[in-house]
Amino acid sequence: MISQFFVLSQRGDNIVFRDYRGDVQKGSAEIFFRKVKFWREDGKEEAPPVFNLDGVNYFHVKVVGLLFVATTRINLSPSLALELLQRIARVIKDYLGVLSEESLRKNFVLVYELLDEVIDFGYVQTTSTEVLKSYVFNEPIVVDAARLPSLGPAALFMQGNKRMPGTAVTKSVVANEPGGRKREEIFVDIIEKISVTFSSSGYVLTSEIDGTIQMKSYLTGNPEIRLALNDDLYIGRSGVPSYGYSGSAGTGAVVLDDCNFHESVHMDSFDVDRTLSLVPPDGEFPVMNYRITQEFKPPFSINTLIEEAGSLKAEVILKIRADFPSSITANTILVEMPLPTCTTRVNFDLEPGVVGQTADFKESHRKLEWSMKKIVGGSEHTLRAKLNFSQELHGNITKEAGPVSMTFTIPMYNPSRLQVKYLQIAKKMKTSNPYRWVRYVTQANSYVARI
Amino acid sequence: MSGHDSKYFSTTKKGEIPELKEELNSQYKDKRKDAVKKVIAAMTVGKDVSSLFIHILAGQWDAFADKITEYLCDPLQRCLKDDDPYVRKTAAICVAKLYDINAELVEDRGFQGALKDLISDNNPMVVANAIAALAEIQENNSRPIFEITSHALSKLLTALNECTAWGQVFILDALSKYKAADARKAENIMILLQMELITSTDVVRNLCKKMAPPLVTLLSAEPEIQYVALCNINLTVQKRPTILAHEIKVFFCKYNDPIYVKMEKLEIMIKLASDRNIDQVLLEFKGYATEVDVDFVRKAVRAIERCAIKLERAAERCISVLLELIKIKVNYVVQEAIIVTKDIFRRYPNTYESIIATLCKSLDTLDETEANFLETFPEEPPQVQLQLQTATVKLLLKKPTEGPQQMIQVILNNATVETDNPNLRDRAYIYCGLVLYTFCCFTGALDAAKDVILAEKPVINDDSNQLDPSLLDELLANIATLSYVYHKRLDAFVTCVKTLHTTEEEYYPGEGGPSESPALAAVTTASPPATTGNSRCPAGRQPAAAPAAPAPVPDLVDLMGTDNDNTAAVSTNQPASPAAPPLPVLLSASAGQGLQISAQLIRRDGHIYYNMFFENNSQIPLDGFMIHFNKNPLGLAAGGPLQVPQVQPGTSASTPLPMVLFQNVSPGPPSTLLQVAVKNNQQPEWYFNDKISLHLFLMEDGRMERSTFLETWKSLPDSNEISKDFPAIVVSSVEATLDQLAASNVFFIAKLKHANQEVLYLSAKIPQGIPFLIELTAAIGIPGLKCAIKTPSPDMASLVFDAIETLLKG
Repeated sequence: MISQFFVLSQRGDNIVFRDYRGDVQKGSAEIFFRKVKFWREDGKEEAPPVFNLDGVNYFHVKVVGLLFVATTRINLSPSLALELLQRIARVIKDYLGVLSEESLRKNFVLVYELLDEVIDFGYVQTTSTEVLKSYVFNEPIVVDAARLPSLGPAALFMQGNKRMPGTAVTKSVVANEPGGRKREEIFVDIIEKISVTFSSSGYVLTSEIDGTIQMKSYLTGNPEIRLALNDDLYIGRSGVPSYGYSGSAGTGAVVLDDCNFHESVHMDSFDVDRTLSLVPPDGEFPVMNYRITQEFKPPFSINTLIEEAGSLKAEVILKIRADFPSSITANTILVEMPLPTCTTRVNFDLEPGVVGQTADFKESHRKLEWSMKKIVGGSEHTLRAKLNFSQELHGNITKEAGPVSMTFTIPMYNPSRLQVKYLQIAKKMKTSNPYRWVRYVTQANSYVARI
Repeated sequence: MSGHDSKYFSTTKKGEIPELKEELNSQYKDKRKDAVKKVIAAMTVGKDVSSLFIHILAGQWDAFADKITEYLCDPLQRCLKDDDPYVRKTAAICVAKLYDINAELVEDRGFQGALKDLISDNNPMVVANAIAALAEIQENNSRPIFEITSHALSKLLTALNECTAWGQVFILDALSKYKAADARKAENIMILLQMELITSTDVVRNLCKKMAPPLVTLLSAEPEIQYVALCNINLTVQKRPTILAHEIKVFFCKYNDPIYVKMEKLEIMIKLASDRNIDQVLLEFKGYATEVDVDFVRKAVRAIERCAIKLERAAERCISVLLELIKIKVNYVVQEAIIVTKDIFRRYPNTYESIIATLCKSLDTLDETEANFLETFPEEPPQVQLQLQTATVKLLLKKPTEGPQQMIQVILNNATVETDNPNLRDRAYIYCGLVLYTFCCFTGALDAAKDVILAEKPVINDDSNQLDPSLLDELLANIATLSYVYHKRLDAFVTCVKTLHTTEEEYYPGEGGPSESPALAAVTTASPPATTGNSRCPAGRQPAAAPAAPAPVPDLVDLMGTDNDNTAAVSTNQPASPAAPPLPVLLSASAGQGLQISAQLIRRDGHIYYNMFFENNSQIPLDGFMIHFNKNPLGLAAGGPLQVPQVQPGTSASTPLPMVLFQNVSPGPPSTLLQVAVKNNQQPEWYFNDKISLHLFLMEDGRMERSTFLETWKSLPDSNEISKDFPAIVVSSVEATLDQLAASNVFFIAKLKHANQEVLYLSAKIPQGIPFLIELTAAIGIPGLKCAIKTPSPDMASLVFDAIETLLKG
């Protein structure tokens, strides 16, 4: 059972503090924050999510820069505690629309009301937004979402993609639209986080897709939803019928290594026609998580060339090529590369006439940073950087520099080719058809090229 | 809250509340009492007086608080039977709260009974909360509060299917906790079946296969969850490396993993590294060693070294990677590489010394740790100072000339006079003594000093499975809990007195002990999915071999090695706990070609274990240990196969072997001799003798009523009475003696006084129900004790005398 739950800001301010059992001292938030902040002295950079200090066990997760913490004195299952913290964060976000220090402070009465229902005397009662609705009566005070940095996976769609109603995802599940009318809509997001490691010669060493189908429903009356996925979807490699080399160019089956489903999902006809049916609970939740190690074409190729120019100088040429259709545009691209310790100065040459690109040498981190607002599919971009060193490196630049890592977001693109073929709302509504949004996005998780 | 509401706050602020506050803090009891009443009145009409509660509590009126709680009881009683499930589920937790405040009240008012009724509730959440509340009450109570009856069990299983994941946790916790108490009951078998905890080789293998993908999927969760999953995997692969043997790729570090995730991944990669995948792994490590994060790089270099030590055939490849890294000449990489090569030299003496040349070439890049000169001695970190000191003394001993003598003077002088570090100073004093002794007194002493200081270092072994097997088993019993993540025993960090009961219960999960094995065997045979579903031979031909022969195949142990109590996978280990005295040596290393065995019979929780400790001082690894006990009066025999892993040279292993009684009873006169034979795959069979101490076998239910005692005493013929004198035993206090005896189940019946002599009557019982009536006669403080025993089987009396003697001497 949980003794206390609290939320701390990045500076260590106590935003929310709830004591459920009274068996852990009141100053625990302060003790916790000090320990986490000065963890580095113990030789590690970041405090692990679970640790014990003077007989008190502290669990914490970081959500949008806030620390969600639970304490206990008993030998609790840490995954239970950490999962609980994530769920609490999700419930609060469902209610407040936006999860931030400001929204928490403005809505602390509502938050405490939620916390009292979620946990009783340290025992978790429920973390379902749906169930909580019948016990929680405070109305959320809406925080202006536009001013805030975007948060959570759904916020990905807000960047540069005008087709999406950006504000919808920051809407509270209980608040009504101005004018008292509720907009009938449902969002289904296919979010894929990809990890690729390239060898120094450009071959793919490892590649992996962590995918999730996320749903957020604002439909009244909780109608049943049917979700059809690819016909050629297989779970586990053993299930693939005679899967050969022929299918590598886009026609092959989608093979999931492993996947799991939300408790509300019925799999009755999944084996027959790859259809999931569910009655979506209120709030945001993952319908399905999946993992793919099947080969896929990486969206970007990275080419690094290092040439020594004299004993104290060198030139680095970085080439990024977008290997996806030109109808698709990637955005918020950042390329980073650590440089040798003795680097003193870097001069950059961007392509002539290019817009939305910047390059910088972060001296404190000894890092080269090249950011691009967007890259259109099929295009190629080059950065030239002239490095100056304070001492000779004896041809060891490649050993002291790199690897090159990249982060990006590509809306309306997913390398796994997993698709939602149709989204059916079973019960016909009296009003016009609700809005249905099926959105795809790919994000870099760990996209690294060794040099 | 909108703005205009604030006026309510401002009005109360000025008037009532500060007034009440003052009254609550008043020095007069009456006034305080009135004030509390006013607060309650205000509460009743709906005013927010919560800011005053602290002042009420500050008054510390325990009696008053008790009264309030008493007033709570009636409404609570009603709420437990409310129509609304929400009220009932809240009331269930409220009982636990009340128990926390006033345990007696809960018992007096029969709330426990109400909770038990709620187990049959039709709302799963109510059931879950009721069971959670009962579990909490049980934890703080030594008496059994409730047992899972077959009726309750079916209710729980129904609720389990219907309630939320959180409620499921409560129910499963309760089921797992109460399992031990109910071990022999049929319900237990049902639970076991329900949870698919089946002990069969095939099933375990299948489960192992099934476990891999979900474990790997956890690795794509949030980093915090990943970390916990990794910690769990880290220990699990120690027990069952096969689960993830083919999945090493998923543990490759991602560039943006938090450092705590990376560190755990490295550990797991080292554990999963094998001759088959070492090239892949080394390539990864090499990649990490060129990253930016210094701590991570150091750890990666160390990982290469650990692989070199672990996998002899891959050592050369590991070392060539290290050499490549050294050539990079990045400071901290070279430093770390040098430190780790030192260990490789010790592991593989005289094999890779050619590296030294490369190392020396790289030394000029060192500017930090271990590039030292005597001039800087006082400024060096203590670790370097210690090394430097030892190095100089070694040099002096190998080459006793002028130069080193001056060096040692400088260093020892500095270390003894100027340093604050006690470690350094004390070592310096020892060296001072040794050096003086060597050079001033005796010429032969030089060799002695050399023996001490230049001694060969023990060979380093692979430490990637560094956890003590007994600790590992214990941790595995607590899989998914905190102790698993910390790699610590529960008592090492749980300090809360309240959870003492749980601690004990989880600490000895093998409580069922050997006697439980029939029940478990029944599970194996009675579970069709276990045998027919996965069997390779036709159903008709399948003999009952698996349950009948507990062969020492590790795979027969269930998945986590915890629930299979008929083998020695008992997850606790007496010798491993620091407080336990060393076991007596029964086979010395000289007699056992380097194998030393210490062992002792012990009794824990009503079961007998043979605690064994194997120390391998030979040059070869020993494995395939088996044990056999010769016939003996109590018929002691091993309750399962001896589970000792391969013991590497220079290491040791310990195991508690569960014992069973009356398996091979020897005919003829009883003796305390226990003959043991142990063998392994490498050595001849070893025999040694141990002693059976009867006091370990006395039963808890050996207490007799006075009347029974008298009757039994009278009914037995005088020929069944045997007595013996112990001239050396002194009884200094009757109470202390009785306590001593009671601790070993010798129970006090009555006491008489005869002149200056005390006469004590006691009873005891050995397994199979043979009673012993004991009469002890002694004068307090004067040596000499007479012991008379009357028993239906007088030939066992000598054993009892032995036991009494052991107990009263100790």
